[in-house]
Amino acid sequence: MAMKKKSKLLGGAGEKVLLTGNEAVARGCLEAGVVVAAAYPGTPASTIMERLGEVAPEMGFHAEFSVNEAVAFEVAAGGALAGVRSLMTTKMLGVNLIADALTVITVTGVRAGLVIVTADDPQQFSSQCAEDTRFFAMLAKAPVLEPGDGQEAKDMAKYAFELSEQLELPVFLRITPRICHSSFDVELGELKAPKRDGRFIRDPKRFVMISTYSRPRQKILFEKIERASRIADLNPWNRIYDFQNGKIVGKGQVYNTFGMIASGLTFPYVEEVLEATGLSAKVLKLATTYPLPENLITEFLREMDQVLIVEENDGVTELQTRALAQRKRINVRIMGKDEGLIPRSGELNPDLVGKAVEKIFGVKFVEELTEPYLEAEKELVSNRVPALCAGCPHRASFYAIREALRRKGHGGAIMGDRGCYNQGAYEPLEGMDTCICMGASIAMASGVSHSGTNEPVISVIGDGTFYHAGIPSLLNAVHNRSNITSFIFDNSITAMTGHQVNPGTGVNLMGDHTGFANLKKIVEACGVERVHVINAFDTGKLIDTMLEEIEQPGPSVIISRSPCALVVERQVRQRKMTLYRAEVDLEKCIGCKVCMKKIGCPAFGWSSDPKEHLEILPHCNGCGLCVEMCPFGAISVPGKREGALGITPKPREVRK
Amino acid sequence: MNIILSGVGGNGVVLTSRIIAEAAIREGIKVRLGEVHGLAMRGGTVVSHLRLGPDAKGPLVPLRKADIMLSFEPLEAIRQMKFLKQGAKVIINNEPFVGVDAHLGLSRYPDVCRVIDQIQKTQDLVDVPATHLALEAGGAVMTNVVMLGTLSASRELPIRREVLIDAIKSRVPPHTIDRNIRAFELGEKAFQEWEAQRACRNG
Repeated sequence: MAMKKKSKLLGGAGEKVLLTGNEAVARGCLEAGVVVAAAYPGTPASTIMERLGEVAPEMGFHAEFSVNEAVAFEVAAGGALAGVRSLMTTKMLGVNLIADALTVITVTGVRAGLVIVTADDPQQFSSQCAEDTRFFAMLAKAPVLEPGDGQEAKDMAKYAFELSEQLELPVFLRITPRICHSSFDVELGELKAPKRDGRFIRDPKRFVMISTYSRPRQKILFEKIERASRIADLNPWNRIYDFQNGKIVGKGQVYNTFGMIASGLTFPYVEEVLEATGLSAKVLKLATTYPLPENLITEFLREMDQVLIVEENDGVTELQTRALAQRKRINVRIMGKDEGLIPRSGELNPDLVGKAVEKIFGVKFVEELTEPYLEAEKELVSNRVPALCAGCPHRASFYAIREALRRKGHGGAIMGDRGCYNQGAYEPLEGMDTCICMGASIAMASGVSHSGTNEPVISVIGDGTFYHAGIPSLLNAVHNRSNITSFIFDNSITAMTGHQVNPGTGVNLMGDHTGFANLKKIVEACGVERVHVINAFDTGKLIDTMLEEIEQPGPSVIISRSPCALVVERQVRQRKMTLYRAEVDLEKCIGCKVCMKKIGCPAFGWSSDPKEHLEILPHCNGCGLCVEMCPFGAISVPGKREGALGITPKPREVRK
Repeated sequence: MNIILSGVGGNGVVLTSRIIAEAAIREGIKVRLGEVHGLAMRGGTVVSHLRLGPDAKGPLVPLRKADIMLSFEPLEAIRQMKFLKQGAKVIINNEPFVGVDAHLGLSRYPDVCRVIDQIQKTQDLVDVPATHLALEAGGAVMTNVVMLGTLSASRELPIRREVLIDAIKSRVPPHTIDRNIRAFELGEKAFQEWEAQRACRNG
């Protein structure tokens, strides 16, 4: 929004550029001429919609960050019902939210391409669980495509719209962090100008899914998914490769009864292992993982004695392939996760695939770590503990909550939610006792409060998550008289996933100035009588207010407000201004580390020269929280105006 | 060819990997670049797997199959050592980042001399005071460009010097180009000095 430079996504056809998987997907959608695009940010998929948002106004299509995934999907489904190509992107946990609409939209079908890009996270780089979207696809009966590199990510994104139109069904494009965040050389195709000419045409028997109208459509859905399997048989991305002595050779040149089935990124892993070990095998590269190309796989299985299935997340292809073999009465040994050859959890990599192949063939692929490597791992490597950023207002809020509970002499229960503030769960802040899913904090706190506990029940949620899934829980807490004190950490942006806009930001993805959602009024409108808005760095007021509120019956809300430190830093830099920085008085610092133990700021360093003392690192932004932590008054932020709270830019120097 | 780039958030690992990757594409080389930055906040572990050439399949380098490592931080170098072949070239910036977690005893920061010794047991280590050289060129933010200069001078990369410099130019703010070139040259010089010292020791 600030600096406008030409997007990589708008390069000309035939150009070869470095794109991340997410950028490749976004480009594929532009080549498909997408008209309505919606998402709720979720790592690792967030940047797809960010990139689309950067080009949407000038290309003339609609892109939005919606308040949650269910809304995003319904917006996209509306577009597809009005006859324009529509897109929804999400991380896999967002698919849980869209299930309600998805299971019915497959019944109605769509009038133009509707594509759902979902990023599964088998390694749980940034997710609370490792669920497999393919089960949702099977539940709703929507086809799934899986690309194996950046080029395929782009090309399959485009194809997904065509397939969706061919079947009149929503289509999933399933990717993983290794596709999303890896970069590939990608050759661009033609951009397609979005045709914003949608119109909703009434067809109640198709779109009003009361049971009388819905029941007859079940049959149509089953027919569609059978047709999808036949289309997959002919999809050139579902293809058998013959490997002879590790090299791909022409089809039919190798007679081999050992086969492998690989999908998505596992194909290049298989390729690497076969090449390095010089083995011969037939490999079925699967791009359509639901429904399976049944005829193609049947033909493949009939030639094989043994088949190893290599897939990430759950053994979904394995499950379907075993069923298929049984149904077609094919006598073949199918191996994979059930046999323990392919790990059930975690992402795959060439070494894990290599290990499975080693077990079957007795060849060697994995370079084991020898003594110096193991010694390094064991004696020198230590994991860094994540922390909230320097100057993060959540640090101040968490400190206040824990301090209030300490003064009260209670452990309390701090029911947490999902957002940046999860970094506050680590020591030394330990500011949250649960993290389950978006919006769970307030409702779970309600449940705890009705359990008969005598301890104060607190909930913590961020502004983005509150808009996403917190409002119904708060309304519920009022309606059912839950005795809870709910904190809303308001930094007016969706910070965790990279500062995407939300209704509290004041601007939307298209760059329109939309006005700010009034968080306090929303809370009041839910019926909460005691609502406080407090600067997050005013820890004294936060503590006093919380101590008062936990004594009161019924729900109360404390909005702890201050902008994200990274946003402030960026704005200050853009305006060519500077920030204050904390300083340590060496005379007063006795090296007790009380400041560290209380708030653990990452701008805290340590020095032994000339004596043990706290050192402030260059990335301190002068938020000043540490000043009140020191029992000896050794820390100060020189020059900062007395009473100024949080990160404050220095006034510009007046030129003389 | 497999290259590992490692450091902490704020070091510029991702930017540096992309500069090399873009230069490789300009040279017509196939590129696969895998990045891990789950929590890429300042001070968190960051690593890139960069694979160049026809052998580049997926974006992940298998254990002990990398030819080069460019590391911006000692602990992050030893953390990723498992990906290096015996005798791989390791270009390392000897400036530790000790997080507050280590000061609090929640994790431990290893002795830097031991880290260097351990890496040297199996690897061809080039030690560069990159942060200091970057400051000399005009700012610590150019530490990664100093390292790129050293990497380029080592002649390990299949990328020409001018192509790499062009890729840097297109990625940094225009008014900082001169400073960045100076940083690049200081990195190159550091490699030449290291080579001369080694020749001296061996000779």
